[in-house]
Amino acid sequence: MKTNWLKLALAVLLVTAAMLFTQTSAAQSAPKDKIAVVVSTLNNPWFVVLGETAKARAIELGYDATIFDSQNDTAKEAANFENIIASGYKAILFNPTDANGSIANVLKAKAVGIPVFCIDREINSTNAATAQMLSDSYSGCVKLGQLFVKTVGKEGEYAELLGIVGDNNTWNRSKGFHSVVDRYPGLKMVAQQSGEFDRAKGLEVMESILQAHPNIKGVFCGNDSMAMGAYQALVAAGKDKDVKVFGFDGADDVVKSIAEGKIVATGMQFPKKMAQQSAEFADEYIKGKRDFAQKIAVPVEVVTKENVGKYGDYGKK
Amino acid sequence: MRAVRWFIAIVVIAGVCWLFPLFHVVTLKTAAAEKAAVTFNATLFAETLWTNQLVPALPKCSPAEALIALIQTDPAAAKKKYSRGAGGGDSYFYFVAGTGRIIAISDDEISIAVTAGSTNAEISLQTGLIFGNALRDGTGLLSPSDYPNSQDFNDISAALNHIVETGVLPKLREQAKVGAKISFAGCVEVDDESSGLRPLKVIPIQTEVQ
Repeated sequence: MKTNWLKLALAVLLVTAAMLFTQTSAAQSAPKDKIAVVVSTLNNPWFVVLGETAKARAIELGYDATIFDSQNDTAKEAANFENIIASGYKAILFNPTDANGSIANVLKAKAVGIPVFCIDREINSTNAATAQMLSDSYSGCVKLGQLFVKTVGKEGEYAELLGIVGDNNTWNRSKGFHSVVDRYPGLKMVAQQSGEFDRAKGLEVMESILQAHPNIKGVFCGNDSMAMGAYQALVAAGKDKDVKVFGFDGADDVVKSIAEGKIVATGMQFPKKMAQQSAEFADEYIKGKRDFAQKIAVPVEVVTKENVGKYGDYGKK
Repeated sequence: MRAVRWFIAIVVIAGVCWLFPLFHVVTLKTAAAEKAAVTFNATLFAETLWTNQLVPALPKCSPAEALIALIQTDPAAAKKKYSRGAGGGDSYFYFVAGTGRIIAISDDEISIAVTAGSTNAEISLQTGLIFGNALRDGTGLLSPSDYPNSQDFNDISAALNHIVETGVLPKLREQAKVGAKISFAGCVEVDDESSGLRPLKVIPIQTEVQ
C-alpha cells in the first residue's frame, strides 16, 4: 500500500515536471515582438553608438531588435521601411536622413499602425512620428559660438564646415553659432562649405579652404567627424597650433583630442541617453501608452579642456 | 459617324481636363509670394507673443527676494520650488521679478542688491548682446512640440532677444544710475550653478527705474 502511494506521488511529480518543462519550452520558443532601429548611416561612429545602444536597450526590454542602415540615402531608407512594414515589426526607432524627405516613410509606417520614434534628427512634421527625441543643437551651438568668440577673439577670419544641407541639425547648429558670431563685425567668415558630416570630406574641404584662406584663426564644424578631418588637414598644413577647431557631437575621439589640447571644444549630445529613452518609449507604446510629447529637446553640454574630465563614452561619466 | 465619335471623345476629354486640370501654370513671382505667405515669420510671432502673452504673464514671476534667500540656504530646494526644467539636462530656468537698488553699472550688466540691507550683487541684469533661449524657454509659454520645424522654434529665440536689445535695453541703460531703486522682471538660464546663481543673470523683459 505504502509502495503504491509512493509510486503515485512519483508519477504526479513527473507529470508536473513535464508540464512545467513543456510550458517553459513553449515560452522560450514563442517569437518575441520585433523592434527596428533605422539609422541614417553606420559610416560614422556616433551613429553606430546611437543604433547599437537603441538595439541593446530594446533587447534588454525583451524584444528582438535589428539595425537597418540607410547610408544617408532616402531611397535606401524607404526600402528599409517597406521591408520593416512587411516583416511585422512592432515599432521603429528612427534616425532620419532628411527632415522633409523622411516624412513619407514615417507616414507609411503610421498608416499600418507602427509607431515611429525619431532619435537625434527630426522630421518636419508634428503628426507623423509618435515622438521625437532631439538634441537641442541650436542652444548647444549658441554656447559654442560664445566660446568661439572668447577663444578666437572678436576679430579675424574663420571658416565653417556645414553638415548635410537637407538635415535640420545642420542649420540649427549653424544658426545657433551665427546668432552669436555674426554680432561681432570683426569676425569674417571667409568660407562656408558642406563636409556632409563626413571625416574624409571634412579633410578634403578643409585642405581647399586652407589653400584659399591661409590666415583663418578658427573653424567651426557641424559635427565631430568633420572636426577630426579638419584637424587632420591642419596638421598636414602645419597649422594645427594656429587654427582653433570646434566640433559638435561629443564623439569619443574628439573628447580625447580636447583633453590633449588638439581641439578646443565640442557639444556633447548624449546619444546613448536618447537611444535608450526611445527604446523605452517604444516599449511603453507597445504596452499601451499613447500620450507622448511630440518633440523633446535634449540639452547639449559644451565640453572644453577645463571640464573634459566629466565626459567620456558618449556621455557624462 | 466615326468623326462624330472622335469629336465627342475630344469634347469629353477637354471637359474633364478643364474640370480637373493636370497641371497649373504659376508665374515665378506668384510662387515666391505663395512661399513667403506660408513661411514662418518669427519676428511677427515674437512681437505678438511679447504683447499678448509674455508681458501679461509677468505677474506669474517668482519673487526675486524669496528666490535669492532660498538659493543662499538651499539651492536644490530653490531649483525644486521655482525653476523650470530644460528637458532633463543640467540647465534650468527661472522666471523672476523683484525690486532692488542698483549698486554697479558696466557695459554689459547692471548689478542689483535685492535683499534689504545687502550691498552684494544678487541680480545681474544683462544689458549687452543677448543670446540663447532663456526668454523662449524660461516662461513655459512655448513648447517645441508645436513647431514642425525646429528652425522656426529657434528663430523665435533670436527674435525675442532682438526685442530686448532694441526695445528694453536702450531705455534701461539711459535711466540706470547707481543708487537708484529699480523694479525688474525677466528670465534666467542657469547653465552652471557654480557661476550662474550668485548673481542671477536676468535677461530683462520689463524694468522701471525710480
